[in-house]
Amino acid sequence: MNATVPFIVTFLLAIVNATLMDNVVLIRFYGICSFVGVSNKVKPAFSMGVAVAFVTIFASLVCWPLYNFVLVPAGIPFMDTVVYILVIASLVQLVGLVIKKYSPALYKAFGIYLPLITTNCAVLGVAQGNTDSGLSFGLSMAQAIGTSAGFLIIIFLMACIRSRLDAMNVPKAFKGIPIALIVAGIMSIALIGLGGIGS
Amino acid sequence: MPQFVYLIIAIVVIVALVAIFVISFIAYRRTPVPKGCEDLVANKEKCEGCLMSECPLAHGREEGH
Repeated sequence: MNATVPFIVTFLLAIVNATLMDNVVLIRFYGICSFVGVSNKVKPAFSMGVAVAFVTIFASLVCWPLYNFVLVPAGIPFMDTVVYILVIASLVQLVGLVIKKYSPALYKAFGIYLPLITTNCAVLGVAQGNTDSGLSFGLSMAQAIGTSAGFLIIIFLMACIRSRLDAMNVPKAFKGIPIALIVAGIMSIALIGLGGIGS
Repeated sequence: MPQFVYLIIAIVVIVALVAIFVISFIAYRRTPVPKGCEDLVANKEKCEGCLMSECPLAHGREEGH
């Protein structure tokens, strides 16, 4: 990192990079399951994005100190995946508990895809990537915030597009998931185009 | 601080994480399912393209076919 660049600039650039140029769904292809599964209606898609964002940010907030202050000094950094999965699974259970108790409509909208946040590799990928690449706590939080924002924006946009596609005259063979994947491919190409900025 | 102290701290932390997971899991299971959500099933269109055999929903998918 260039010492003359203030940290806040690096922090904001890291967020923008993780949100757009290195988007978790369309560039890194993490979290495709919930992206395709819950993006057919706008409200559940937005709620799923918020739930994944909550779990990703809090998992990164907990996992980075656990790795650097507990696992590495104890000489057992290889236990990182086990610890991260425990943290993520506990967070998902807590989020699920709150939704189940206070928002039955959202619980029904998520359906069986709510527990699948645990197996959403976007969440584990961010926590694992932050520690593997040796990022500082600040930059790993920027990465988590950017990744969460990227997931939320893309799943929301996808839900908006799919709700419009339902009203379109799509050929029978392309109805549903096939046309959704074609749209995702076009969105991915658009984001790859942003990767050239600044080079 | 000696290495074994760090190791003990790490073991305590991991055991605490397991305990938190078990408590949250039991609390989640004991919370009653909201009305109308008792029969939630996997959506065939969403799941049939997925090849993940470890997914718990995969068993229902195999039976369906």
